[in-house]
Amino acid sequence: MALAIERKAVTKWVERLLELGEVIAPVRTPCGDLLFSIVHSAEEVVWDSANPLHPPKAFVLPQTDPLVKITRNGQGVELEPIHDGARRFLVNVRSCDAKGIAFLTRMHEMDPADASYLRRSDNLTIISMACISPCAVGFCICADSGPFLNDSYDVQLTDLGETYLAEVGSAKGQAAVAEEPNLFRNATEEEVIRRKNLEAAARNHFGEENCHFGSAMRRISTGRVPDALWEKMSDWCLECGACNFVCPTCYCFSVKDLGGNGTWTRCRLWDSCQYSAFTLEASGHNPRAQRKDRMKRRFFHKVSAQYYARDGMVGCVGCGRCIKVCLGATHMPAVVSAIRKGKWHE
Amino acid sequence: MSDVFLPDIARLVDIWDETPDTKTFTVRFRVSKKDEDFDFRPGQFLELSVFGYGEAPFCIASSPTRPQALQTTVRRTGQLTDALHKLGAGAEVGIRGPFGNGFNVEAAYGKNLLFVAGGIGLPPLRSLIWNVLDERSRFGNVTILYGARTPSDLVYKQELDEWAKRSDVEFHVTVDVAQAGWTGKVGVVPLLFKTITFHPESTLAYVCGPPIMIRIVVQDLLTLGFKEEAIISTLERMMQCGIGKCNHCAIGHRYVCRDGPVFNYRRIREMVE
Repeated sequence: MALAIERKAVTKWVERLLELGEVIAPVRTPCGDLLFSIVHSAEEVVWDSANPLHPPKAFVLPQTDPLVKITRNGQGVELEPIHDGARRFLVNVRSCDAKGIAFLTRMHEMDPADASYLRRSDNLTIISMACISPCAVGFCICADSGPFLNDSYDVQLTDLGETYLAEVGSAKGQAAVAEEPNLFRNATEEEVIRRKNLEAAARNHFGEENCHFGSAMRRISTGRVPDALWEKMSDWCLECGACNFVCPTCYCFSVKDLGGNGTWTRCRLWDSCQYSAFTLEASGHNPRAQRKDRMKRRFFHKVSAQYYARDGMVGCVGCGRCIKVCLGATHMPAVVSAIRKGKWHE
Repeated sequence: MSDVFLPDIARLVDIWDETPDTKTFTVRFRVSKKDEDFDFRPGQFLELSVFGYGEAPFCIASSPTRPQALQTTVRRTGQLTDALHKLGAGAEVGIRGPFGNGFNVEAAYGKNLLFVAGGIGLPPLRSLIWNVLDERSRFGNVTILYGARTPSDLVYKQELDEWAKRSDVEFHVTVDVAQAGWTGKVGVVPLLFKTITFHPESTLAYVCGPPIMIRIVVQDLLTLGFKEEAIISTLERMMQCGIGKCNHCAIGHRYVCRDGPVFNYRRIREMVE
């Protein structure tokens, strides 16, 4: 179902959403950075912007995710599960990030379902913005995650100038629209055609695809990437873990008790498969002590056919954030390209 | 949908010193119905919480045929195990699980069984050994080979005596380095192979211990004619969640916590880091 909302009316809609729950959107910080944050007024939402450096995954999977409250009582202990059931609206999120959350949700729904995550994702309404002019580093088109979405959104907006086309993709989207029915009208046929043309034009922006997952997948899934190539590539990796932390689909974690003096919070914390301690056992044995093995692990998890079969997509949405943060240039397109060509740049 | 990270509270009802750095903990759930409902197979493991320090995976060392005493045997090697060792009887810990595939006991009916354990590798096998001995008539010959660094590193000393005395068990023990008073064998576990007769075609071999020991024992067993499928081991990995989500224990697309920790040697060989 395609609706339309006037550009000016979107602010009113966001004001209504603010009454219903938390609204998360790109905001400009005093220092000029752009990031996803809880907003307190509709004016704070930055509509025309590049994609923030951090994806919005922290709003479904916080970097420090409190799971259980622990209180010691003499020799005994009391436990209380921590539930976050807040209703949230994620506004003006790009296609790649909406797809990233869909990936995380699918993974956390797998048996055994993770209630802590799903409580957040169930209560999150994603209002995405289709990319009519794709960003410089993005390769969403290679990962089937944009520039426009066919799924994974609740409402997808397309900027038509004075109006936004609003496609409703779920019951949650329908509910969000129904909160201010007077702001929306049915889209005209002409508006729907313009949206289609904008998508076609946006797809053409990418030129030749620059991240050929298919051929890399064949090699990585069958162990045909030479060890020497992993070694050479991993020479460039600084083991900083930034690629993991800015990745919309990375979810590896550790579990720790934070606090002290008899009260703690058991938390799930983001972890990085690129850290050597990730696989370090208490005995001192480390099966992935070498950097090349850790890099191989990261790309096997994201690009192998084995994981593709499980997750239904590659573990990459083509947002290009790893390109921005990787100091060693061992980001997704570079590694995929090296695997295809069988050689790393010197 | 349940809170998959919420442990059940259990009490340490008995703590037994096995060696200077290893203790066996007997636990009982605070909610006694949980004790009855707690079904497990030998080879499965628990996520045990020491509150304030987090949780870590430990194999279940007791047999499901003896449900009155759920036990785990833990060596002191880090912060969490150090804190666990300092707890006294009556202290409360957390338990999630059981996790993992465990040993397929039914598949061993009618077979000869060879257990080869090194050091702290005995606890997971002890769960299976007592299961087998409690249903002794279902199985063929039972041979247990056990080695440790020194006599004081041997765990379950009373039970070792018991196994040695039983006429329906062939039991041999060795230590790498003897101490005063030790009159038994000295040398690494594979040396015990010389003292026993093998029937590789009708025997399942369960091997558990430090990686170097497993490697040597498996090679010896293959040389003796054991099929890769008949050599069964448990893999050890850094684990956090126990449910195939956190990715610490992943090998390729398999998870030691969920697809394992018990694998036959053919599967182990096929898994690529």
